[in-house]
Amino acid sequence: MLNCFPDPDVGGSMEPPCKKRKTEAFGTFTWELMPVLSDERSGEVELLEAYAAPIINKKQTSALVKRLAEVYPLSNLPHIKRVRPCKDKKSDHPLEIIICLHSDLNSTDALNGKVSLSDLFPEGNVDVTGLGDPFQVKIPAEQPLTRLQFEIASQHWPTSFHENKQVTEALRGQLFNIEEKAKMQTFMEKAIEVAKVGKGLGMEPVGAVMVNPASDRIIAVGHDCRNGPNPLLHAVMVCIDQVAYGQGGGAFNHDKYPQCYFRSAEPFLGDDVVSTAKPLLLSDDHILKGTVTNRLPYICTGYDLYVTREPCVMCAMALVHSRIHRVFYGTSSPDGALGTKYKIHTRKDLNHHYVVFKGLMEKECQLLS
Amino acid sequence: MEQAFSTAKGALENGEVPVGCLMVYHNEVLGRGRNEVNETKNATRHAEMVAVGHVLEWCRQKGRRWQEVFKDTVLYVTVEPCIMCAAALRLLNIPLVVYACRNERFGGCGSVLNIPADDLQHTGAPFQCIGGHRAEEAVDLLKTFYKAENPNGTFAFSNTAPKSKVRRKE
Repeated sequence: MLNCFPDPDVGGSMEPPCKKRKTEAFGTFTWELMPVLSDERSGEVELLEAYAAPIINKKQTSALVKRLAEVYPLSNLPHIKRVRPCKDKKSDHPLEIIICLHSDLNSTDALNGKVSLSDLFPEGNVDVTGLGDPFQVKIPAEQPLTRLQFEIASQHWPTSFHENKQVTEALRGQLFNIEEKAKMQTFMEKAIEVAKVGKGLGMEPVGAVMVNPASDRIIAVGHDCRNGPNPLLHAVMVCIDQVAYGQGGGAFNHDKYPQCYFRSAEPFLGDDVVSTAKPLLLSDDHILKGTVTNRLPYICTGYDLYVTREPCVMCAMALVHSRIHRVFYGTSSPDGALGTKYKIHTRKDLNHHYVVFKGLMEKECQLLS
Repeated sequence: MEQAFSTAKGALENGEVPVGCLMVYHNEVLGRGRNEVNETKNATRHAEMVAVGHVLEWCRQKGRRWQEVFKDTVLYVTVEPCIMCAAALRLLNIPLVVYACRNERFGGCGSVLNIPADDLQHTGAPFQCIGGHRAEEAVDLLKTFYKAENPNGTFAFSNTAPKSKVRRKE
């Protein structure tokens, strides 16, 4: 099984930095690839109102943490670091501690204006020795998932953060080197080329290319056929069916459209082939775990799809059913299901998730319609 | 619905997920489908998609426009259409879907997403759904399938079958 969260030390050795710098020097692409992350990852940092107080005497800290945890355990906020060093270096106290959330207090009177320690501990049964006057702060409601979220969250109050390096690199546009980008561009150029062929046949100008990233081979190519005999034959559906043909199956007759074609499936050669394919896991599950070695591929497991525009709900869900690995699309669609109207690829309640990037040759793809 | 069930049983006999459906246009059955995923090695060959193919072929033979036919066609299916099929049914402007049991894992008509009711200006027309007719029977069929496929509890779909996942619509 592939490790989704490589140890930073180990993971760093996977790609020698010198190699990367050398290749990046020649990089000139007119497009930028952006990951389409789940709402939890791409969303803003939600904040909660809370009360904190300075710790006047540093030696009281551990005792205060213990006492406060009994009264206000903050059990829904495990990511919050209860104590933070004081921001203002000139301050007369070194540390500050979270006491409770606004919502922890029963009395609505205490919500406005200045509060005192006796407002926060109305029972009077807590030893508040060492605490200064309470003040209001905003603290992050959830654990940050991206570095950007972490940076924003930390401005309010320190939180724990388990960085997913791939997400960070992806968001900075550093996930792929020039060779990888050049390959991606080649595959998208093919998709654009067939989209134009389809358009010439009176179809919607959409093209799709299925690639096995382990061998960088094109497995299947399809253009939109919806204005032919079957209105559901969007480019993605055509491409999925062409993959099926390559595996000895298939359901439609594509003879009328010679630009829609497939290559016969090759058996996986062994562990090596799978492991050299760079695992790209921007979601939290093990995407490639279903890939079996020394066997014919199962539907689209482990494959990448390049499609000129964002798939609709039907196509996006068809890709879930087909166990796709990654999707790269050029431009967004008004009812698109991989970022615009839905994020089908990140839904926790579905049984398969995949990674999506948008913006690959965006301008060229926009020009198609 | 009786016929949809017997079609579903046909799927079971062929080692496919037992979902069956019928497409009825002015009291005439134009399309019939059962799951054909394993047979075609195409994971999109759900019963609904197969039946759509039959209706399209009927249209071709009769020289009818599919747009005119589907807008008066009712789908009867043993399991709530998945998200993909629900979107397909929208794209075809099918007005009404009658199904037996819910599809907690993939259901596109309320269980996971509500595709027929969502605001999708560019994805055909919304449609009506009636669920719950002979739901228990449809669930039992699915259970039979998953039990046979999964004697050791390790099969990928094992967690579909238990009551907790495929709940009946009362």
